Amino acid sequence: MTTATPSAPPAPTTTTTVASRIRDRSLRTPNKVAMREKNYGVWQEVTWAEYWDTAMTAAHALLALGVEPGDRVAVHSENRREWLYSDIATVAVRAMTVGLYPTNPAPEVAYLLSHSGAKILIAEDQEQVDKALEVLDDLPDLEHIVYLEPRGIRRRYDNQKLMFWDDFCDIGKRHREEHHGAVEERMSQAKPDDVMTLVYTSGTTGPPKGAMLTVSNVEFCIQELVEGGGFTSPPPSDADIMLSYLPLCHVAERIFTTWFNASAGVQVNFAESIATVQPNLTEIQPSVLFGVPRIWEKVLAGVNIKLASASLIKRTNARFWLRVADRLGDKLVRNGGEHTIGTRLVYAVGWLFLFRALRDRIGMRKVRYAASGAAPIAPEVLKFYMGIGVPMHEVYGMTENTAIATANFPGRVKLGTVGEPQKGIELKIDETTGEIMTRHAGVFAGYWRNTEATAKTIDPDGWLHTGDVGVWVDGTHVKIVDRMKDIIITAGGKNVSPSEIENALKASEFIKEAIVIGDRRPYLTALIGIELDTVGEWAQRRGIAYTTYRDLSEREEVIKLVQGVVDHVNERFAQVETIKKFQMLPKELDHEDGELTATQKVKRSAMADRFDDVVESMYGKAGVS
Amino acid sequence: MTETSTRFKSRTKRPSGRPELYTSYSQHLRMLNTRPKFVSVTAIVAVAALLPWVFDDQTLSLLGLGLAASIGAIGLNLVTGYAGQVSLGHAFFLAIGAYTAAALSGDPEDNELIGFGVTNVVVWLLAAGLVAAFFGVIVAPLATRLRGLYLAIVTLGLVFIGEHIFKEWPELTGGPGVGRPGPVPELFGVGLNTPGDFLTAEQKLYLLMLVTLIIFALLARNLVRSKVGRAFAAIRDRDIAAEVIGVNLTRYKVLAFAVSSFFAGVAGALLYTITGFIEPSSFNLLLSVQYIAMVLIGGVATISGSILGAMFITLIPALTRQLPNVAPFISGDATKAFNVFQLETVLYGLLIIGFLIFEPRGLFGIWIRIRNYWKAWPFTY
Repeated sequence: MTTATPSAPPAPTTTTTVASRIRDRSLRTPNKVAMREKNYGVWQEVTWAEYWDTAMTAAHALLALGVEPGDRVAVHSENRREWLYSDIATVAVRAMTVGLYPTNPAPEVAYLLSHSGAKILIAEDQEQVDKALEVLDDLPDLEHIVYLEPRGIRRRYDNQKLMFWDDFCDIGKRHREEHHGAVEERMSQAKPDDVMTLVYTSGTTGPPKGAMLTVSNVEFCIQELVEGGGFTSPPPSDADIMLSYLPLCHVAERIFTTWFNASAGVQVNFAESIATVQPNLTEIQPSVLFGVPRIWEKVLAGVNIKLASASLIKRTNARFWLRVADRLGDKLVRNGGEHTIGTRLVYAVGWLFLFRALRDRIGMRKVRYAASGAAPIAPEVLKFYMGIGVPMHEVYGMTENTAIATANFPGRVKLGTVGEPQKGIELKIDETTGEIMTRHAGVFAGYWRNTEATAKTIDPDGWLHTGDVGVWVDGTHVKIVDRMKDIIITAGGKNVSPSEIENALKASEFIKEAIVIGDRRPYLTALIGIELDTVGEWAQRRGIAYTTYRDLSEREEVIKLVQGVVDHVNERFAQVETIKKFQMLPKELDHEDGELTATQKVKRSAMADRFDDVVESMYGKAGVS
Repeated sequence: MTETSTRFKSRTKRPSGRPELYTSYSQHLRMLNTRPKFVSVTAIVAVAALLPWVFDDQTLSLLGLGLAASIGAIGLNLVTGYAGQVSLGHAFFLAIGAYTAAALSGDPEDNELIGFGVTNVVVWLLAAGLVAAFFGVIVAPLATRLRGLYLAIVTLGLVFIGEHIFKEWPELTGGPGVGRPGPVPELFGVGLNTPGDFLTAEQKLYLLMLVTLIIFALLARNLVRSKVGRAFAAIRDRDIAAEVIGVNLTRYKVLAFAVSSFFAGVAGALLYTITGFIEPSSFNLLLSVQYIAMVLIGGVATISGSILGAMFITLIPALTRQLPNVAPFISGDATKAFNVFQLETVLYGLLIIGFLIFEPRGLFGIWIRIRNYWKAWPFTY
């Protein structure tokens, strides 16, 4: 903790929390829309008054169930209204919210719930309830499981700990009548160093660690990003509309959904599911859009597939204007993302022929600020969006510094960098190791129940060691080289950043996963996983028959296709950084199988074990397998 | 869930420029649910309302005929296109409407023809519709017993019975070869078929047709997107299945015929207001076929398609009558071997065949195709 918390008297303090912000907004603009969720084909609206009212009821219910300050309340659900109600209620009663990824398998659920010691679990449906019940014996702290969808659970499951959300709310309502003002009283006791949430990092190595974010961390984040305009310019307001579709347990989505909503009144719209993001985007047409690289790559791949199968006139038109967009993107990149009169004119013509319709179809017609973060992305992908007129910005941050590190500011974009340090923070790059370090009020309070890891991450001077290697570009912008532990040192002693090569490969619409290998090896090799949709479509157009993913991957034509992509990428890199050999992954990587983290990042250690024989075969020692 | 169906109403204005963001079912169901739709419909109506000051009187009366025929075509489309009950008897219902209106508004002093002197257009228009609907209800029970081809034959019989009666009842129709004057339109004491201070007779009649068409088109559009319309569609798609899901077949078939005949009655009354003369032998099979052609060419089960089809069929003669000037082997004289009237008949047949094969959704289908092409831009699907 770097914030100095004066030992103020515990009497009515006015610590601003996310909960108090929502209360204030519900008083200021009770009838404006806070969020929407699509149910039965209609986007149902929740006003600020209703939002606060439901959150209050939930908070009373938590009090009635005996939640004390500092207790943990876990939420295991897709993004939906109840996620926010539970989160806000938890903050209001000074407990900590622990988010679980909906894709977490039972063993991980067991680890997260037992490690956090959650007292109450809000589980979405039968699937999530089953995961918890499976490991219930290992969870002595868990007292109640509140489920949101009764289907398959109510009157079927006989467990004393289970409780339906409506019953939970009834408890809250009764408590609210009997103990009027109990929640307000608890809220008034809130302190800046209250831990309000545990954000479990995805854990590409070892088990996930729970980063403790305090009220003051989050307030600092809000000041920087919302009030200070750290991302968008002008700052977000209640006229902005966004789509919430990435897991809320991740700090990035929490910022854009919960905190932007609470602090700036941005209207949140919950996507029906991750599978319907594209149609939901076209319906909502958000004005602020955050995405992880995978999403941006997938939308781009979708555009390419659809264009490839469009009729001749449409295809020719689109090809032409996309080439123009490419040149526009180049110019914008040189100009920091700002238009000149020339580019504006060209864009206006292209707008009539392609860009308007294309942006409308992919749901980005109204986007005034788009951001990519949470993982590295290939610059070509960003350039595509800039070219068609979506103001795209790469940003950088991590859970441990409440996502406050660097951002490309509108008009000062440098492609390939993660931007400039946020205003009023300290950021330095270690001269010997090249590690990026930050120091500001958003630096987290430490890892939950893991002082050893905390000590390794925050040094005594308060500097957060991010674990990312970076370099300065033009003295203002930061370029991330790679994760420190991922950097490859070849047998020849050269340092190679695999993620740069991997992203260049993944920029192709045909490649979904690329894992570059070569640590202590004579040359670089890669494991490549194809994108089933695009390659399948490509194969179909060429009349190549296939049955499964593996079958398709191993087709000669497909290997040739991938070889083409690899050769193309190799041209752009130095000799030591070229991929000499590659092998196709025989299966799609999956979270459940332990190959990916919940945020779809590749677990390199797991890959090395699982595909050991494939890797060895590329270095000519395959005989044994 | 805490939400119930009472929550499906929107309490706030939805964010602008997001036509697919529906926050309530009423937005979803609105007839002009997008701005382009609203703008284009308003523009079309505005242009149509300004035409009387653009075209000469002859063209206007032709367009007026097209508008009146549109009402009849919508009527036929309701029963045949939406409810799937093939009817070749549409000419009969047109005749009922025409004669009801003519008799009501006819001169009571006339000793040879029935006449009651009720010239108020609203009164005789409604009466024409109601009497036709009454006959529709009488005929409808046949439809509950018969299907497809059999129903077509029976309704065909209706045309022949009608033709016979109209020939043999000179007090009403004036008899074959003689005929009687068409209905006399008057509204609030203003004669609509006589030149006035500001407008000519044709201009007034055109506007009367336009207003009536708008009213009836709206009625039909709202009918087909209601419970009744869905019942019609269910019967068309599979009557047994419709019955299984609780559609009362008898009731809805009778309703379909009644509404359709009402529209036909109104259309008949208006058509002969413009021509000003009713010849009993004109209500023959060819007239029914013309209306079938309107529906098929315009677009089955579409309201705007019916209007397109009716305008198209009405305007064909205006074009074919020019042919003798260009192609001398076609005669303009009805007594010669190959004349324009025969050509028109052949043309109806060819058009029906052509549309059924190449564009089963009719003129409206062509529009849909164009719209989808641009809607999907820059993709194909």
